[in-house]
Amino acid sequence: MRRIIDFLIKNIHSLTFTFLLSFSLIQIIDKNFYHNSKFNFYSNSVINTINDFKQNFSEYFELKIINENLIIENTLLKNNSINTAENDSIISDENYTYIPAKIISNSIKFSKNFITINKGINQKINVEDGVISKIGVIGIINNNSDKFSTVISILNTDLKINAKVKNTNHFGSLSWDANNFQIMNLDDVPKSALIKNGDTIQTGGMSSIFPEDIPIGTIIEYSLPDASNYYKIKVKLFEDIGSVNNVYVVKNNFKQEIKDLEKNNEKY
Amino acid sequence: MKNINQLVFLRFLFIILSQILIFNNILIYGISPNIYLIFLIVFPLTYNKSLFYIYIFIAGLILDFFSNTYGIITFSLLLSAWFRPYFLKFSFGHFDASKVRKTADYIKETSLYQKLTFLILMYFTHQFLLFSVEAFSFEKLDWIIKKTLISTIISIILCYIFILIFYTKNAR
Repeated sequence: MRRIIDFLIKNIHSLTFTFLLSFSLIQIIDKNFYHNSKFNFYSNSVINTINDFKQNFSEYFELKIINENLIIENTLLKNNSINTAENDSIISDENYTYIPAKIISNSIKFSKNFITINKGINQKINVEDGVISKIGVIGIINNNSDKFSTVISILNTDLKINAKVKNTNHFGSLSWDANNFQIMNLDDVPKSALIKNGDTIQTGGMSSIFPEDIPIGTIIEYSLPDASNYYKIKVKLFEDIGSVNNVYVVKNNFKQEIKDLEKNNEKY
Repeated sequence: MKNINQLVFLRFLFIILSQILIFNNILIYGISPNIYLIFLIVFPLTYNKSLFYIYIFIAGLILDFFSNTYGIITFSLLLSAWFRPYFLKFSFGHFDASKVRKTADYIKETSLYQKLTFLILMYFTHQFLLFSVEAFSFEKLDWIIKKTLISTIISIILCYIFILIFYTKNAR
């Protein structure tokens, strides 16, 4: 203790200097918008590289589980291919490209959650591409660098997704109210729709981001508010967003064409 | 003989106020001359070092608030304060700093070239730090050096006039 105090007394001038200098440096980075964004750019690239390394390392210990999952997926795919061989009328999704990716950081504790994946511009991933897993929707890409992309999670109160009830054509918009990370709200489904608990909710074909008929979840509760023409539906997700690891980025190959076409319409 | 604390405080008020109220509003070739560095240049050498740094820090903070550059002036002022003893030694040789009580003493006893060397070193370092922290990237190195040179020349001329006005009386 005495030595510590001696050290402090001996170096009081340089310590004061260091303290004041670091204070001013913090102020520069904190208060100036330009410096702040520049600093974030550098620190984010470092953090993402570290996260990627950590993910590589921890993945090694999960190889067994991954292997088992792959076997299950393989058998499913084999069964499917046999089915399609018998039934020619099924058209494959050739206007969508799927790119496998890995989640390297994820959060479910905020109201506006974001996910980072390990594929970026180098893998031809663009902003506004969709991200899905085997049994659910994960989110939409909102920003990308050369090797990484950030995804707006569906557990983000700003995101609304077009969804429909399976085997009907009644659409609604799916959003999150930041309460429970497994429950989402489906609004704007009209009163005329015949629904009951346990019905499956899928993505609708109304957006150019996600392909149609990707399963999302099941209805666990619904109500019809007084003097309203629309149901309030609570949906339980199939996918546990907090523990998902392998995802696919969905690219719509005709997105630009669709956008151009819609832009032409605006002229009239 | 005035109390040294009183002297430092009055200088502090006078120089900071004149920078904020007058020299911040003057623009020569798109640059306002930096008079505030005089406060650092003529700061008493025998003063307590920690208090010296705190004085410089507060001066920089006030200047930052009035020119909307949070922390940039403070940062470069503190670093130039750290460089000051080395520049003093370089330009005035090995003189005994502990015996000098007032800035006027070494102004009186040194030649014009020594004074100019010191001023140029201080100003160039300070302005270079200021502009490079402001630009925050070395892609604009030509811009930084151009700005540094122009503002160094303008500020040194004003600063030398300032020092002559206030210290020649003591120097004679």
